[in-house]
Amino acid sequence: MRAVAEHLHHLYAALAPWSALALLLLGRSPFLSLTRIFGSLFLAFFLLRIPIAGWSCFQWLMVLEPNPSFILTGLLVVALGQRVSGVRLFHPSDWKAGWIFGAIASIVLYPMALGLTVMDPYSLGWKPELPVVVATAAIILILRRKRFGIILILPFVGFLLRLQESHNFWDAVIDPFYGGMALIISAALLVKKIRKGKEF
Amino acid sequence: MPLWIRWMIVVVVLILAGAVVRQECGDSIAKGFEVTMIPKPSKDSAPLFQEEIINKDQNLPFIHVCSLVELAGDKLGALWYGGPYEYCHDNCIYFSTLKKGTWTAPRAIMTPEKIERDLGRPIRCLGNPLLLVNRDGSLRLLFVTIAMGRWSGSQINTSLSKDGGVSWSRVERLTLSPLCNFSELVRNRPIPLVPVSPMTVKSGDSWCVPLYQELIGKFPELLWLKEIDDRVVAQKSRMAGGCATLQPSLLPFDKETAVALLRDWTQAKRIFMSRTKDGGITWTDPVATSLPNPDAGISGLRLSDGNLIVAYNDSVILREKLSLAFSDDSGASWKNIFQLEHDPDACSSYPFLMRTTDGMIRMVYTHEGDNIKMLTINESWITAQLTGMGRPIR
Repeated sequence: MRAVAEHLHHLYAALAPWSALALLLLGRSPFLSLTRIFGSLFLAFFLLRIPIAGWSCFQWLMVLEPNPSFILTGLLVVALGQRVSGVRLFHPSDWKAGWIFGAIASIVLYPMALGLTVMDPYSLGWKPELPVVVATAAIILILRRKRFGIILILPFVGFLLRLQESHNFWDAVIDPFYGGMALIISAALLVKKIRKGKEF
Repeated sequence: MPLWIRWMIVVVVLILAGAVVRQECGDSIAKGFEVTMIPKPSKDSAPLFQEEIINKDQNLPFIHVCSLVELAGDKLGALWYGGPYEYCHDNCIYFSTLKKGTWTAPRAIMTPEKIERDLGRPIRCLGNPLLLVNRDGSLRLLFVTIAMGRWSGSQINTSLSKDGGVSWSRVERLTLSPLCNFSELVRNRPIPLVPVSPMTVKSGDSWCVPLYQELIGKFPELLWLKEIDDRVVAQKSRMAGGCATLQPSLLPFDKETAVALLRDWTQAKRIFMSRTKDGGITWTDPVATSLPNPDAGISGLRLSDGNLIVAYNDSVILREKLSLAFSDDSGASWKNIFQLEHDPDACSSYPFLMRTTDGMIRMVYTHEGDNIKMLTINESWITAQLTGMGRPIR
């Protein structure tokens, strides 16, 4: 049973790097042939299986991040879906909501979890408070027509299915890659907004 | 999106969130230290002081971080990690038991090959092992592996044995840190927790395990473990933040109150101490004691009369001296009572103190980097040292 769970963790953990790699391989060209699409998807799969020192690239990635968050995975799958289908699944405001949510979560979590204060927000991930906060955020976003709110459902589904190695709800919500990316993009959005404000 | 669809999604969110909250509540671990009654030594018992090397014929160039457990049938078990050198990929965790007065040949119970196979990913090396003996006799092994870099890149793993340590279950990784799960380490004696309900007893044992982080900050933490039908629930809480103290040694007085002695990483070069009055949920700010500490591991123990002893490196620079100190005021003041080791050319470090059910105090420590020494003393011997009647062994 534990072996099955372990395989499930690996299968889920591969989804984020595979989507990210496939997106990179698809490039920025507006016109994608079917060959290019399927070629990129397969190539991403095989690249993750390239062995280095006896272990596949994916297994080395697992050393670094065994618990990609469900939100990061969701955003990457949406981006890949959008790129492959050409259908706009997320509007710019949905992406913006995703980056701002990630930036806030990173600022709340990482500095204190790494020892800045005696308070450890990471321990809230084993308590009922954090799921309540995330559910509230999801409801507000959904009612405000932000599709990112639907992505916020994924941590609940994934957590209940125990798709991650971690049993802490924070890991379902955020990981260092999503957090870092969200901080950089949110900072860029803020700078852009300030500059725009100065122009008037 | 039409309004009714949005409300449907909201209902789904509420149902899922409710299920997650229910699961989180079910996994919560009740706090409260279990303090076993320590039999007072009879007044006419003679002072006892014995030393022995546990791993005489092991011949490994490097061994470290030994811990002790009392197994079923009054057997003692010792485990440590070792190999060619620190951070070597080939290092293993060794286990030896004391049977009829002699230690069995050390046996590798955890190898890098098994860990990598079970986890499905490479490790750099392993370290700090700790064994918990559950009431049903099963053994829960906790140990550190390094994913990358040095100890700051470490993670905690666990495995269970139901046959006295002969075979071990699939290795499981415990996720305890949000930044790539880096930098969590176990060290020092675990404390069993009070079972709060018949349900908890049925579900298995709960433990409070001293833990620490040393990535950006260095600070002490506690790992709260609960066994539920072969599954282990792991959560942690913080004792102090910042970059000052680590490797707590817990000394509980009762269910709610305890003191923790802490290894120092400041310029104070002193052992620090912190107190709890709520079963380890909150701790006072660590304060420096009078005892020196050269950034080295310590281990404390409560005696039958409530007094405390601590094994520590009696220096602010090196680990060449290993001593015992005594406190009769719950750790407010300390008195050095005995110097166990003093060799300027060798280091003796990482003591691990425990009491066995026969009333003996046992201590293991790394001696000269390549062997494990065990010391057996009784409380009469400590009394003799305090009254100046102790035999001048050193």
